[in-house]
Amino acid sequence: MAFVLAAAFAAQLILNELPCPLCLLQRIQFAVLAIGPMLNVRFGPRPSHYAMSLLAAAAGAAFAMRQILLHIMPGDPGYGSALLGYHYYTWAFIAFAVAIVAIAAMLLFDRQFEGDGEAPPVAAGTFARTAVWLVIALTALNVLSTLLECGFAACPDNPVEYELLKRKSL
Amino acid sequence: MEFAALFLATTVVMLVTWFGSRTLALALYAALLLASVATYLHHATDVLKLSF
Repeated sequence: MAFVLAAAFAAQLILNELPCPLCLLQRIQFAVLAIGPMLNVRFGPRPSHYAMSLLAAAAGAAFAMRQILLHIMPGDPGYGSALLGYHYYTWAFIAFAVAIVAIAAMLLFDRQFEGDGEAPPVAAGTFARTAVWLVIALTALNVLSTLLECGFAACPDNPVEYELLKRKSL
Repeated sequence: MEFAALFLATTVVMLVTWFGSRTLALALYAALLLASVATYLHHATDVLKLSF
């Protein structure tokens, strides 16, 4: 999830492509999806943690599918630039679908739920702690970037510049 | 504005998950999911102003 959020940020900063409202919602769902694994790291694996992540992934896939369908007509160039032939929202749909399959696969391992709630979870390792703080930092940076992009009003449908960085014309 | 608020809420839920109680984290997680779906439905019912 940290990689996906970092890649989205890189595209925004390097290519100067501002995310549209639906793109922002998909980015939010990636961050929300990451909370399930964080709950697992903090409190140990529980079916409810996986369930919440599944719901977040399903919602994210629905948001991405709407954007795909908005640009489904032949001749439509799509929104933003393409990466390896697919637009970011198509990649987002693929990523959410992969997440759903991966979570279902992880739920197959019943032994992780043995002793549910009895033993305290094992302390998180360095890798897990780094990943958690990276996701938190990237999400916090998105608060700032989204505020700069949209300002204090509704976000434009097709943003081309940061609303809060616009020079006020007299 | 609502998207910045959702990102902020997500950051808060992550911090509660890491430092707070499980019950509170799950409750806030559910509220956050509902808020994001509500935001989507709000925008999905807007008149489309497409750029093509």
